[in-house]
Amino acid sequence: MIYDVTVIGGGPAGLAAALQADKEGAKVLLIEREQRLGGILKQCIHDGFGLVTFGERLSGPEYCERFIDQILDSGVERKLLTFVTKIVKTDNGFLIYYVNRSGASHIRTKTIVLATGCRERTAKQVFIHGTRPSGIFTAGTAQHYVNLMGKMPARRCVILGSGDIGLIMARRLTLEGAEVLGVYEIKPTPSGLTRNIQQCLRDFDIPLYLSHTVTRVFGDERLTAVEVMKVDQHMQPIPGTEEIIECDSLILSVGLIPENELAESLHVPIDRKTKGPVCDQQYMTETEGVYCAGNALHVNDLVDYVTENALAAGKNSAHYEKKERVRIPVEAGSDISYVVPERLDLKEPLEHVTVYFRAAKEMKNVNLMIRIGDNVIFKKRYSVVRPPEMERLNIDFSEFSLQKNQKVEFFLEKESSEGREHE
Amino acid sequence: MSSFARKVKKIKELSPSIQVSEEKGCIVLRGEADSWDTIVKAGRLAVDRKKYYGVINDIRLKGFTQKVKLPAEQDSLYDGAKPDVLIIGGGLTGCAAARELSRYNLDIMLVEKGADVAAGQSSRNGGAVHVGINYSPSSQKNYYNHRGNAMYTKLSKELDFPFERTGHLMLIGAAWEKILIQILLLNARRLNIRGARYLTRQELLKVEPYAPSWAYGALYMPTGGFTSPYKVNVALAENAVTNGVKICLNTAVTGMETKGGKIQAVKTNRGTIYPKIVINASGVYADVIADMAGDRTFTIHPRKGTDIILDKKVGKYIRTTEVKSPITVLGNGKKLHSSERVKMIKFALSHENTSKGIAVIHTVDKNMILGPDVQEIPDREDTTTDRESTNRILTEQMKVAEKVSPADVIAYFAGVRSPTYEEDFQVRKGIFCKNILEAAGIQSPGATAAPAIGRQLAIWTVKYLRETQKVEKNPNFNPIRKGTPHLSEMSEEERNELIKKNPDYGEIVCRCEEVSKGEILDVLNSPLPVYTLDAVKRRCRPGMGRCQGGFCSPLVVQILAEARGCSVDEIKKSGKNSDILLGSTKEALK
Ligand SMILES: Cc1cc2nc3c(=O)[nH]c(=O)nc-3n(C[C@H](O)[C@H](O)[C@H](O)COP(=O)(O)OP(=O)(O)OC[C@H]3O[C@@H](n4cnc5c(N)ncnc54)[C@H](O)[C@@H]3O)c2cc1C
Ligand SMILES: Cc1cc2nc3c(=O)[nH]c(=O)nc-3n(C[C@H](O)[C@H](O)[C@H](O)COP(=O)(O)OP(=O)(O)OC[C@H]3O[C@@H](n4cnc5c(N)ncnc54)[C@H](O)[C@@H]3O)c2cc1C
Repeated sequence: MIYDVTVIGGGPAGLAAALQADKEGAKVLLIEREQRLGGILKQCIHDGFGLVTFGERLSGPEYCERFIDQILDSGVERKLLTFVTKIVKTDNGFLIYYVNRSGASHIRTKTIVLATGCRERTAKQVFIHGTRPSGIFTAGTAQHYVNLMGKMPARRCVILGSGDIGLIMARRLTLEGAEVLGVYEIKPTPSGLTRNIQQCLRDFDIPLYLSHTVTRVFGDERLTAVEVMKVDQHMQPIPGTEEIIECDSLILSVGLIPENELAESLHVPIDRKTKGPVCDQQYMTETEGVYCAGNALHVNDLVDYVTENALAAGKNSAHYEKKERVRIPVEAGSDISYVVPERLDLKEPLEHVTVYFRAAKEMKNVNLMIRIGDNVIFKKRYSVVRPPEMERLNIDFSEFSLQKNQKVEFFLEKESSEGREHE
Repeated sequence: MSSFARKVKKIKELSPSIQVSEEKGCIVLRGEADSWDTIVKAGRLAVDRKKYYGVINDIRLKGFTQKVKLPAEQDSLYDGAKPDVLIIGGGLTGCAAARELSRYNLDIMLVEKGADVAAGQSSRNGGAVHVGINYSPSSQKNYYNHRGNAMYTKLSKELDFPFERTGHLMLIGAAWEKILIQILLLNARRLNIRGARYLTRQELLKVEPYAPSWAYGALYMPTGGFTSPYKVNVALAENAVTNGVKICLNTAVTGMETKGGKIQAVKTNRGTIYPKIVINASGVYADVIADMAGDRTFTIHPRKGTDIILDKKVGKYIRTTEVKSPITVLGNGKKLHSSERVKMIKFALSHENTSKGIAVIHTVDKNMILGPDVQEIPDREDTTTDRESTNRILTEQMKVAEKVSPADVIAYFAGVRSPTYEEDFQVRKGIFCKNILEAAGIQSPGATAAPAIGRQLAIWTVKYLRETQKVEKNPNFNPIRKGTPHLSEMSEEERNELIKKNPDYGEIVCRCEEVSKGEILDVLNSPLPVYTLDAVKRRCRPGMGRCQGGFCSPLVVQILAEARGCSVDEIKKSGKNSDILLGSTKEALK
């Protein structure tokens, strides 16, 4: 027996991909490591999910419940509490090795959708020094303790990083009676969505310190204090600006990294910037038959985009056939930090290509330009672009008679004259 | 001028306020100084191995007092215990001694102030099983390292801990530097170190395919190996417990009562213990403990080292240990004048060069380690890390591990070595106290030497006890300790078989290191169960991987609480006050 599509990961991306592949008539297997479907959304009990997909403000669990209900009524086979350990390429597909409480085994599949989500950057990855006490948590871990276990990891805390999960946890912990002394962000601009800065910090009078970072932690057993410092424009701490803040916990929201160990074990090329696999407009990676969706592909700030891209990945994987491909690169040019997809396959439809991109820095009154060779083929004005806010475009590339040796470049350009006065 | 007078003069030049005297066969320094550097320099100047037992350096650092980390427990759990042997310190040395002693029918007690064994240096090192090619033949370091290294193969089989003997390398950058290798090879012959040889670049690439581009050749020492030091430590401790040793964690020695050159009683935070003989294996506090017994002839001066752990993704770039030779200067070193070359070689071979070059180290867990560096510090328990050290190590070692980038760093840690000023081990019987054995100054290569030191300590202990009592072999001694299984290393069939017997092996808790619930429960059912996050992490690795416990720590906390039958609030990271959770949320209280 061989599955047409095996989806790895049962978060919103995996759920959508599996459902769609099933609707397209494929024989689908969904593998999830945890006991329950839903991925990280299980612990996101705040609202704001699904505005684009459902036009409603749902909580995380409510959002994924809608997909889980459909999954239960579909033909998708499920393996829960099942961990994929290894994937091996074969002549006509893949062998997926897994373990669960019934044993260690493997299945065969024609295609794979990687939807393994992302993980959080840790204290060591942002080079925090000092002792090794308890009381240092990533925001997602803190969220797990509070929302899934009803336990308080903090009473008096400092938050490092203004990522969305950190902002949401600032509010959550405050509501639970903890004291949030401040959110410290190394960059001169916040990393989280503007709406979260307002709703999670300002509305609760929690101070946000930009261009600041935590440099050291103190405490032999439980954390007793942290040292914060101002940083210069190169994000290096400025000597003499040290300040010691007494607290019992430090919560980190310093970035998410796509979880791609399985992709790497298959030698799927990874985009250095997104840290997810390089993919084309079908969301197929550079390895035939391996698709990728959701936060494993690139870190999304809205789950709606995850769903959108996963539905497409699911659909495409169901219709996969091996064929010749002509892929040209889509590159991130000046002031763009990344563009997804990174490739266009000229043998696949080019009419409705959804492109996600992020600006490298906050800019006002800019034009997004798309260039092929020397020709600018597309231009769109943005009154403001910010790195935390991903932008989405729908572009018809079929008009431009793209050729094999061409490349597509996205870049931002300051508006020349009229825009100025608004600055 | 007498040699003593010459020493006094030199030390006074450093700081006139330092008083120097000769007492009970030791050279003693007293006074106060503004900088730690001065104190260490004075200590070094005082060394005379032939004339004195050792240097007692009691110069105080202005504004500094040692804060001893003591367990929070205060009770009388062990009050009145009368063991034959009391071992102080649950590091590699203490646990190796305990295991060796458990071959005899003795009442053995080991006290460790930390919340787990391997609380000191023994968990904070790179795990290289050293060759010792540059040691002096008469040193204790050479004696114990040579024997310890040789014991590792059998020990790893008996105790089921990971050990690989893939060899160590010292790299050179130019032809003239071969001279250093030749000198070391001569020493290898004197020390009876087998297999050491010179490798050309081509040969080097067969041993180490990713050797740096600048490497001209290398000294290859095939007897060098790798282990996981805390796994060795835990294995020794578990086997000792199985064979009857009582290991008392969270128990610190705070004082002793002595009479007539003999220890009568040993005070701890959990009561007074009355042993017949004491083994001092207390690492950085070895001089403090020796002093309690009136047997101090040496001074430990803490020497910190920081190690950086890199992701398994880059683990494949190192199979051995690579050290840049101390005379290799990268970049501009090509045109050194010959007199400068001689100077460098002399320094490389001298005792002043106490620091082993920072290395790129393969680990048995398939990560890569960069480090450790060397920093003299006043605080014996200062295991903090700092940006300068990690940056320096990274910049330096990325020249050796050319494939590595700072983004590969997943963790770093620091350990404090415990050298004496003589820079040699002090493994000896008591000089001024009859019933103490000292295992002091056990700095690097102490992890390698520990099994041999433990054996020697056991021999002396038995001999001492036999003066007054009969000491028989332990008829039930079992040298075999079975570690808990690591399923991720097994074939599908083996794994399947185990999961069929115990489904918990099929439930993955830590995704980075692929650790199952069953493996965690196993370590809690071991002879020395320790219900803390850190202890579980060391024994079976949940939280050791790239996410550093982000996903799995809440799950591990729950497993620990369930296994112990307590609330999750009671599960600690390590010591009694290292709470993880601080009560329930409002909703949960409702
Ligand atoms: C802590 C956190 C808070 C967030 N808060 C918000 C928010 O407030 N609003 C918002 O719009 N977005 C939020 N996001 C982003 C949004 O939740 C994500 O974009 C979305 O959940 C990503 O979906 P996913 O399916 O790609 O990943 P996930 O939801 O992470 O799901 C991945 C699944 O894959 C499984 N898996 C991983 N490896 C394996 C393996 N080897 N074998 C089997 N299964 C595996 C995991 O167990 C997990 O269930 C948050 C993200 C995080 C991490
Ligand atoms: C950074 C670094 C890297 C190293 N690398 C290597 C290497 O690659 N190879 C190698 O062979 N060696 C290496 N070493 C050296 C090696 O780690 C040590 O020599 C060895 O671990 C010493 O073991 P020990 O048991 O003597 O001391 P420790 O492990 O320090 O044990 C002493 C124990 O005594 C306890 N203790 C102290 N005071 C008291 C008290 N009053 N009451 C009760 N208990 C007490 C402490 O808590 C501690 O657990 C390295 C050391 C460091 C610091």
